[in-house]
Amino acid sequence: MTKSIETMWKEGFVSESQLTAPKVNDLYNRKSQNIVDKLLNMFAINIKMLIVGSLLMFVAMSLIGAPFFGLYVCILLLPLIVIAKKELKRSVDISKGQSSYDYLINFDNWLKHSIEAYSGYYRVFYPLFFLGMITQGVTSKAGGKIIALLMEKFPTDVVILGLPYYLFMALTCIIFIVIKYADALYRLDLNIVYGRQFKKLDELIKDMKALRRTA
Amino acid sequence: MGSDFYQLSILPYAGIIIKICRAYTNTQEDFEDYYQEVCLQIWRSKDNFNQQSQWTTWIYRISLNVCLTYMKRRKTGDKAFVSDSLPDDVIDDSKAFANDDINELYSAIKHLTETNRAVILLYLEEKTYEEIAEIMGTNANNIGVRIARIKERLSKFISEKD
Repeated sequence: MTKSIETMWKEGFVSESQLTAPKVNDLYNRKSQNIVDKLLNMFAINIKMLIVGSLLMFVAMSLIGAPFFGLYVCILLLPLIVIAKKELKRSVDISKGQSSYDYLINFDNWLKHSIEAYSGYYRVFYPLFFLGMITQGVTSKAGGKIIALLMEKFPTDVVILGLPYYLFMALTCIIFIVIKYADALYRLDLNIVYGRQFKKLDELIKDMKALRRTA
Repeated sequence: MGSDFYQLSILPYAGIIIKICRAYTNTQEDFEDYYQEVCLQIWRSKDNFNQQSQWTTWIYRISLNVCLTYMKRRKTGDKAFVSDSLPDDVIDDSKAFANDDINELYSAIKHLTETNRAVILLYLEEKTYEEIAEIMGTNANNIGVRIARIKERLSKFISEKD
Protein backbone atom coordinates (compact mmCIF):
# COMPACT_ATOMS: atom_id res chain seq x y z
CA MET A 1 0.00 0.00 0.00
CA THR A 2 1.68 3.18 -1.17
CA LYS A 3 -1.00 5.79 -0.55
CA SER A 4 -2.50 6.71 2.77
CA ILE A 5 -6.25 6.21 3.15
CA GLU A 6 -6.65 9.97 3.39
CA THR A 7 -4.96 10.42 0.01
CA MET A 8 -7.00 7.61 -1.53
CA TRP A 9 -10.17 9.32 -0.33
CA LYS A 10 -9.15 12.80 -1.43
CA GLU A 11 -7.99 11.72 -4.86
CA GLY A 12 -10.99 9.46 -5.33
CA PHE A 13 -13.44 12.21 -4.56
CA VAL A 14 -11.66 15.15 -6.15
CA SER A 15 -14.98 16.49 -7.27
CA GLU A 16 -18.12 15.51 -5.43
CA SER A 17 -20.17 16.70 -8.35
CA GLN A 18 -18.87 13.69 -10.26
CA LEU A 19 -20.89 11.48 -7.97
CA THR A 20 -24.17 10.64 -9.60
CA ALA A 21 -27.18 10.49 -7.35
CA PRO A 22 -29.48 7.56 -8.04
CA LYS A 23 -32.77 8.27 -9.72
CA VAL A 24 -35.43 8.75 -7.10
CA ASN A 25 -38.70 6.99 -7.79
CA ASP A 26 -41.88 8.35 -6.27
CA LEU A 27 -39.92 9.40 -3.23
CA TYR A 28 -42.82 11.28 -1.71
CA ASN A 29 -44.96 8.17 -1.40
CA ARG A 30 -42.22 5.73 -0.60
CA LYS A 31 -42.83 3.26 2.20
CA SER A 32 -40.13 3.54 4.83
CA GLN A 33 -37.88 0.54 5.53
CA ASN A 34 -36.56 2.01 8.75
CA ILE A 35 -37.07 -0.34 11.68
CA VAL A 36 -38.49 2.44 13.88
CA ASP A 37 -41.03 3.42 11.22
CA LYS A 38 -41.88 -0.21 10.59
CA LEU A 39 -42.61 -0.80 14.26
CA LEU A 40 -44.63 2.40 14.50
CA ASN A 41 -46.54 1.35 11.44
CA MET A 42 -47.17 -2.03 13.01
CA PHE A 43 -48.62 -0.37 16.13
CA ALA A 44 -50.87 1.83 14.01
CA ILE A 45 -52.11 -1.19 12.05
CA ASN A 46 -52.58 -3.11 15.32
CA ILE A 47 -54.93 -0.44 16.59
CA LYS A 48 -57.12 -0.66 13.50
CA MET A 49 -57.00 -4.46 13.44
CA LEU A 50 -57.90 -4.67 17.11
CA ILE A 51 -60.88 -2.36 16.72
CA VAL A 52 -62.17 -4.21 13.65
CA GLY A 53 -61.30 -7.62 15.09
CA SER A 54 -63.04 -7.05 18.40
CA LEU A 55 -66.19 -5.78 16.68
CA LEU A 56 -66.20 -8.73 14.30
CA MET A 57 -65.68 -11.08 17.22
CA PHE A 58 -68.66 -9.59 19.02
CA VAL A 59 -70.90 -9.89 15.94
CA ALA A 60 -69.72 -13.43 15.12
CA MET A 61 -70.14 -14.62 18.70
CA SER A 62 -73.58 -13.03 18.90
CA LEU A 63 -74.59 -14.86 15.72
CA ILE A 64 -73.58 -18.24 17.12
CA GLY A 65 -75.39 -17.51 20.35
CA ALA A 66 -72.46 -16.43 22.54
CA PRO A 67 -72.81 -12.64 22.76
CA PHE A 68 -71.38 -12.47 26.28
CA PHE A 69 -68.21 -14.23 25.20
CA GLY A 70 -67.96 -11.83 22.25
CA LEU A 71 -68.35 -8.88 24.59
CA TYR A 72 -65.84 -10.40 26.99
CA VAL A 73 -63.22 -10.70 24.22
CA CYS A 74 -63.93 -7.11 23.13
CA ILE A 75 -63.26 -5.90 26.65
CA LEU A 76 -60.09 -8.00 26.83
CA LEU A 77 -58.80 -6.44 23.60
CA LEU A 78 -59.43 -2.85 24.68
CA PRO A 79 -56.25 -2.49 26.79
CA LEU A 80 -54.18 -3.58 23.78
CA ILE A 81 -55.57 -0.64 21.84
CA VAL A 82 -54.72 1.67 24.74
CA ILE A 83 -51.17 0.26 24.94
CA ALA A 84 -50.58 0.64 21.19
CA LYS A 85 -51.84 4.25 21.29
CA LYS A 86 -49.64 5.10 24.26
CA GLU A 87 -46.56 3.58 22.64
CA LEU A 88 -47.21 5.53 19.46
CA LYS A 89 -47.31 8.75 21.48
CA ARG A 90 -44.08 7.88 23.27
CA SER A 91 -42.28 7.43 19.95
CA VAL A 92 -41.90 11.19 19.41
CA ASP A 93 -38.52 11.04 21.16
CA ILE A 94 -37.00 8.94 18.39
CA SER A 95 -35.92 11.72 16.05
CA LYS A 96 -33.52 10.56 13.36
CA GLY A 97 -31.73 13.90 13.52
CA GLN A 98 -30.31 13.13 16.96
CA SER A 99 -26.77 11.96 17.48
CA SER A 100 -26.43 8.28 16.62
CA TYR A 101 -25.97 7.34 20.28
CA ASP A 102 -29.06 9.23 21.46
CA TYR A 103 -31.08 7.88 18.56
CA LEU A 104 -30.14 4.27 19.28
CA ILE A 105 -30.57 4.65 23.04
CA ASN A 106 -33.97 6.35 22.72
CA PHE A 107 -35.09 3.72 20.25
CA ASP A 108 -33.88 0.93 22.51
CA ASN A 109 -35.60 2.42 25.56
CA TRP A 110 -38.82 2.86 23.66
CA LEU A 111 -38.61 -0.67 22.29
CA LYS A 112 -37.97 -2.20 25.71
CA HIS A 113 -40.81 -0.21 27.23
CA SER A 114 -43.17 -1.29 24.45
CA ILE A 115 -42.22 -4.96 24.74
CA GLU A 116 -42.62 -4.78 28.51
CA ALA A 117 -46.04 -3.14 28.23
CA TYR A 118 -47.29 -5.68 25.68
CA SER A 119 -45.82 -8.75 27.33
CA GLY A 120 -47.14 -7.57 30.70
CA TYR A 121 -50.64 -7.44 29.32
CA TYR A 122 -50.34 -10.69 27.34
CA ARG A 123 -49.53 -12.44 30.62
CA VAL A 124 -53.08 -11.49 31.67
CA PHE A 125 -54.76 -11.60 28.28
CA TYR A 126 -53.98 -15.18 27.24
CA PRO A 127 -55.09 -16.84 30.51
CA LEU A 128 -58.26 -14.71 30.69
CA PHE A 129 -59.02 -15.43 27.04
CA PHE A 130 -58.55 -19.13 27.65
CA LEU A 131 -60.68 -18.95 30.81
CA GLY A 132 -63.43 -17.24 28.81
CA MET A 133 -63.25 -19.96 26.17
CA ILE A 134 -63.54 -22.67 28.82
CA THR A 135 -66.48 -20.95 30.50
CA GLN A 136 -68.20 -20.53 27.17
CA GLY A 137 -67.44 -24.14 26.28
CA VAL A 138 -68.69 -25.79 29.45
CA THR A 139 -71.85 -23.67 29.58
CA SER A 140 -72.77 -24.37 25.97
CA LYS A 141 -75.00 -27.23 24.87
CA ALA A 142 -72.16 -29.07 23.20
CA GLY A 143 -70.00 -28.62 26.30
CA GLY A 144 -72.78 -30.00 28.48
CA LYS A 145 -72.99 -33.06 26.25
CA ILE A 146 -69.24 -33.66 26.46
CA ILE A 147 -69.30 -33.35 30.25
CA ALA A 148 -72.21 -35.77 30.44
CA LEU A 149 -70.32 -38.20 28.21
CA LEU A 150 -67.23 -37.91 30.38
CA MET A 151 -69.27 -38.52 33.55
CA GLU A 152 -70.71 -41.62 31.93
CA LYS A 153 -67.33 -43.03 30.89
CA PHE A 154 -65.42 -41.94 33.99
CA PRO A 155 -67.99 -41.54 36.74
CA THR A 156 -67.00 -39.62 39.88
CA ASP A 157 -68.71 -38.05 42.87
CA VAL A 158 -66.17 -35.25 43.07
CA VAL A 159 -67.55 -32.34 41.08
CA ILE A 160 -66.01 -28.86 41.15
CA LEU A 161 -67.96 -25.94 39.67
CA GLY A 162 -70.09 -28.41 37.75
CA LEU A 163 -67.09 -30.19 36.25
CA PRO A 164 -65.73 -33.63 37.08
CA TYR A 165 -62.61 -33.11 39.19
CA TYR A 166 -60.22 -34.54 36.52
CA LEU A 167 -61.55 -32.18 33.85
CA PHE A 168 -61.35 -29.29 36.30
CA MET A 169 -57.75 -30.19 37.15
CA ALA A 170 -56.77 -30.62 33.50
CA LEU A 171 -58.22 -27.23 32.58
CA THR A 172 -56.58 -25.60 35.60
CA CYS A 173 -53.23 -27.08 34.55
CA ILE A 174 -53.66 -25.71 31.04
CA ILE A 175 -54.45 -22.24 32.42
CA PHE A 176 -51.28 -22.34 34.54
CA ILE A 177 -49.24 -23.41 31.53
CA VAL A 178 -50.73 -20.51 29.54
CA ILE A 179 -49.91 -18.08 32.39
CA LYS A 180 -46.35 -19.41 32.54
CA TYR A 181 -45.69 -19.27 28.82
CA ALA A 182 -47.79 -16.26 27.71
CA ASP A 183 -44.85 -13.89 28.02
CA ALA A 184 -42.44 -16.33 26.34
CA LEU A 185 -44.94 -16.87 23.53
CA TYR A 186 -45.16 -13.14 22.82
CA ARG A 187 -41.39 -12.71 22.91
CA LEU A 188 -40.88 -15.73 20.68
CA ASP A 189 -43.28 -14.30 18.15
CA LEU A 190 -41.47 -10.95 18.27
CA ASN A 191 -38.06 -12.60 17.99
CA ILE A 192 -39.01 -14.55 14.90
CA VAL A 193 -39.73 -11.32 13.05
CA TYR A 194 -37.33 -8.83 14.65
CA GLY A 195 -34.78 -11.02 16.46
CA ARG A 196 -31.82 -10.20 14.23
CA GLN A 197 -32.56 -6.49 14.31
CA PHE A 198 -32.78 -6.49 18.08
CA LYS A 199 -29.49 -8.35 18.34
CA LYS A 200 -27.89 -5.90 15.93
CA LEU A 201 -29.25 -2.98 17.93
CA ASP A 202 -27.72 -4.40 21.11
CA GLU A 203 -24.36 -4.78 19.37
CA LEU A 204 -24.49 -1.23 18.02
CA ILE A 205 -25.30 0.23 21.42
CA LYS A 206 -22.57 -1.84 23.05
CA ASP A 207 -20.05 -0.54 20.52
CA MET A 208 -21.26 3.05 20.90
CA LYS A 209 -20.97 2.80 24.67
CA ALA A 210 -17.44 1.47 24.31
CA LEU A 211 -16.62 4.45 22.12
CA ARG A 212 -17.89 6.81 24.82
CA ARG A 213 -16.09 4.99 27.58
CA THR A 214 -12.69 3.90 26.34
CA ALA A 215 -9.77 6.15 25.75
CA MET B 1 -42.33 15.42 -0.76
CA GLY B 2 -42.00 18.58 -2.73
CA SER B 3 -39.50 18.08 -5.53
CA ASP B 4 -38.20 21.57 -4.75
CA PHE B 5 -37.09 20.34 -1.37
CA TYR B 6 -35.21 17.45 -2.94
CA GLN B 7 -33.63 19.68 -5.58
CA LEU B 8 -32.68 22.47 -3.19
CA SER B 9 -32.01 20.83 0.15
CA ILE B 10 -30.97 17.27 -0.62
CA LEU B 11 -29.45 17.02 -4.09
CA PRO B 12 -26.63 19.53 -3.42
CA TYR B 13 -25.58 17.25 -0.53
CA ALA B 14 -26.12 13.97 -2.40
CA GLY B 15 -22.37 13.29 -2.25
CA ILE B 16 -22.53 12.90 1.53
CA ILE B 17 -25.46 10.50 1.32
CA ILE B 18 -23.86 8.48 -1.49
CA LYS B 19 -20.58 8.07 0.39
CA ILE B 20 -22.32 6.92 3.56
CA CYS B 21 -24.84 4.61 1.89
CA ARG B 22 -22.07 2.93 -0.10
CA ALA B 23 -20.31 1.96 3.10
CA TYR B 24 -23.37 0.11 4.37
CA THR B 25 -24.47 -1.67 1.20
CA ASN B 26 -23.03 -4.28 -1.11
CA THR B 27 -25.18 -4.09 -4.20
CA GLN B 28 -26.41 -1.30 -6.45
CA GLU B 29 -30.01 -2.21 -5.67
CA ASP B 30 -29.46 -1.93 -1.92
CA PHE B 31 -27.52 1.27 -2.35
CA GLU B 32 -30.40 2.87 -4.24
CA ASP B 33 -32.88 1.71 -1.59
CA TYR B 34 -30.75 3.18 1.19
CA TYR B 35 -30.25 6.41 -0.71
CA GLN B 36 -33.98 6.86 -1.18
CA GLU B 37 -34.69 5.97 2.43
CA VAL B 38 -32.20 8.60 3.62
CA CYS B 39 -33.79 11.22 1.34
CA LEU B 40 -37.24 10.28 2.63
CA GLN B 41 -36.12 10.57 6.25
CA ILE B 42 -34.40 13.92 5.65
CA TRP B 43 -37.64 15.23 4.24
CA ARG B 44 -39.74 13.74 7.04
CA SER B 45 -37.41 15.15 9.70
CA LYS B 46 -36.99 18.61 8.19
CA ASP B 47 -39.37 20.23 10.70
CA ASN B 48 -37.21 18.95 13.56
CA PHE B 49 -34.15 20.71 12.22
CA ASN B 50 -33.53 23.43 14.78
CA GLN B 51 -30.71 25.25 13.00
CA GLN B 52 -28.47 24.93 16.04
CA SER B 53 -26.32 22.67 13.96
CA GLN B 54 -25.45 22.96 10.29
CA TRP B 55 -27.65 21.42 7.61
CA THR B 56 -24.73 19.20 6.52
CA THR B 57 -24.36 17.90 10.10
CA TRP B 58 -28.07 17.13 10.06
CA ILE B 59 -27.65 15.19 6.81
CA TYR B 60 -24.71 13.24 8.20
CA ARG B 61 -26.72 12.33 11.31
CA ILE B 62 -29.80 11.20 9.44
CA SER B 63 -27.79 9.31 6.83
CA LEU B 64 -25.88 7.41 9.50
CA ASN B 65 -28.92 6.76 11.70
CA VAL B 66 -30.94 5.51 8.76
CA CYS B 67 -28.13 3.22 7.57
CA LEU B 68 -27.67 1.83 11.07
CA THR B 69 -31.34 0.93 11.44
CA TYR B 70 -32.42 0.10 7.92
CA MET B 71 -34.43 -3.06 7.71
CA LYS B 72 -34.02 -4.90 4.47
CA ARG B 73 -36.41 -7.53 3.29
CA ARG B 74 -34.50 -10.25 1.55
CA LYS B 75 -35.93 -12.01 -1.46
CA THR B 76 -36.65 -15.07 0.67
CA GLY B 77 -38.95 -12.92 2.79
CA ASP B 78 -36.51 -12.95 5.68
CA LYS B 79 -35.82 -9.57 7.22
CA ALA B 80 -32.32 -8.57 8.14
CA PHE B 81 -29.86 -5.75 8.34
CA VAL B 82 -28.13 -5.82 5.02
CA SER B 83 -24.91 -4.65 6.55
CA ASP B 84 -24.56 -7.96 8.37
CA SER B 85 -21.26 -9.54 7.48
CA LEU B 86 -21.29 -10.81 3.96
CA PRO B 87 -18.81 -13.11 2.26
CA ASP B 88 -15.71 -11.32 0.98
CA ASP B 89 -16.44 -12.14 -2.64
CA VAL B 90 -19.70 -10.21 -2.44
CA ILE B 91 -17.98 -7.19 -0.93
CA ASP B 92 -15.05 -7.33 -3.36
CA ASP B 93 -17.38 -7.37 -6.32
CA SER B 94 -18.20 -3.74 -5.66
CA LYS B 95 -17.36 -1.47 -8.59
CA ALA B 96 -19.41 1.36 -7.27
CA PHE B 97 -16.97 4.13 -8.12
CA ALA B 98 -14.85 4.86 -11.17
CA ASN B 99 -11.75 5.12 -9.00
CA ASP B 100 -10.18 1.74 -8.11
CA ASP B 101 -8.53 3.07 -4.97
CA ILE B 102 -11.89 4.17 -3.63
CA ASN B 103 -13.43 0.80 -4.40
CA GLU B 104 -10.55 -0.86 -2.62
CA LEU B 105 -10.92 1.45 0.36
CA TYR B 106 -14.67 0.83 0.56
CA SER B 107 -14.06 -2.88 0.36
CA ALA B 108 -11.82 -2.57 3.44
CA ILE B 109 -14.25 -0.24 5.24
CA LYS B 110 -17.00 -2.84 4.88
CA HIS B 111 -14.95 -5.22 7.03
CA LEU B 112 -15.27 -2.83 9.95
CA THR B 113 -18.06 -2.77 12.53
CA GLU B 114 -20.91 -0.42 11.70
CA THR B 115 -19.84 2.08 14.35
CA ASN B 116 -16.28 2.09 13.07
CA ARG B 117 -17.51 2.62 9.53
CA ALA B 118 -19.32 5.74 10.72
CA VAL B 119 -16.26 7.05 12.56
CA ILE B 120 -13.87 6.56 9.65
CA LEU B 121 -16.28 8.00 7.08
CA LEU B 122 -16.63 11.17 9.13
CA TYR B 123 -12.87 11.33 9.61
CA LEU B 124 -12.24 10.93 5.89
CA GLU B 125 -14.77 13.69 5.30
CA GLU B 126 -12.41 15.89 7.31
CA LYS B 127 -14.71 16.35 10.26
CA THR B 128 -12.95 17.39 13.44
CA TYR B 129 -13.00 15.07 16.45
CA GLU B 130 -15.53 17.41 18.06
CA GLU B 131 -17.78 17.25 15.00
CA ILE B 132 -17.52 13.46 14.85
CA ALA B 133 -18.36 13.29 18.55
CA GLU B 134 -21.33 15.63 18.03
CA ILE B 135 -22.72 13.61 15.13
CA MET B 136 -22.24 10.28 16.86
CA GLY B 137 -23.03 11.41 20.39
CA THR B 138 -19.75 10.25 21.80
CA ASN B 139 -16.68 11.59 23.52
CA ALA B 140 -14.25 13.61 21.37
CA ASN B 141 -11.31 12.42 23.49
CA ASN B 142 -11.89 8.83 22.43
CA ILE B 143 -12.29 9.51 18.75
CA GLY B 144 -8.59 9.97 18.06
CA VAL B 145 -7.66 6.66 19.64
CA ARG B 146 -10.44 4.85 17.78
CA ILE B 147 -9.42 6.41 14.45
CA ALA B 148 -5.83 5.32 14.91
CA ARG B 149 -6.99 1.74 15.48
CA ILE B 150 -9.33 1.81 12.51
CA LYS B 151 -6.65 3.20 10.21
CA GLU B 152 -4.33 0.43 11.30
CA ARG B 153 -6.98 -2.17 10.47
CA LEU B 154 -7.75 -0.61 7.13
CA SER B 155 -4.09 -0.45 6.16
CA LYS B 156 -3.76 -4.10 7.08
CA PHE B 157 -6.75 -5.09 4.97
CA ILE B 158 -5.50 -3.13 1.98
CA SER B 159 -1.92 -4.38 2.31
CA GLU B 160 -3.09 -7.99 2.51
CA LYS B 161 -5.02 -7.53 -0.71
CA ASP B 162 -2.10 -5.90 -2.50
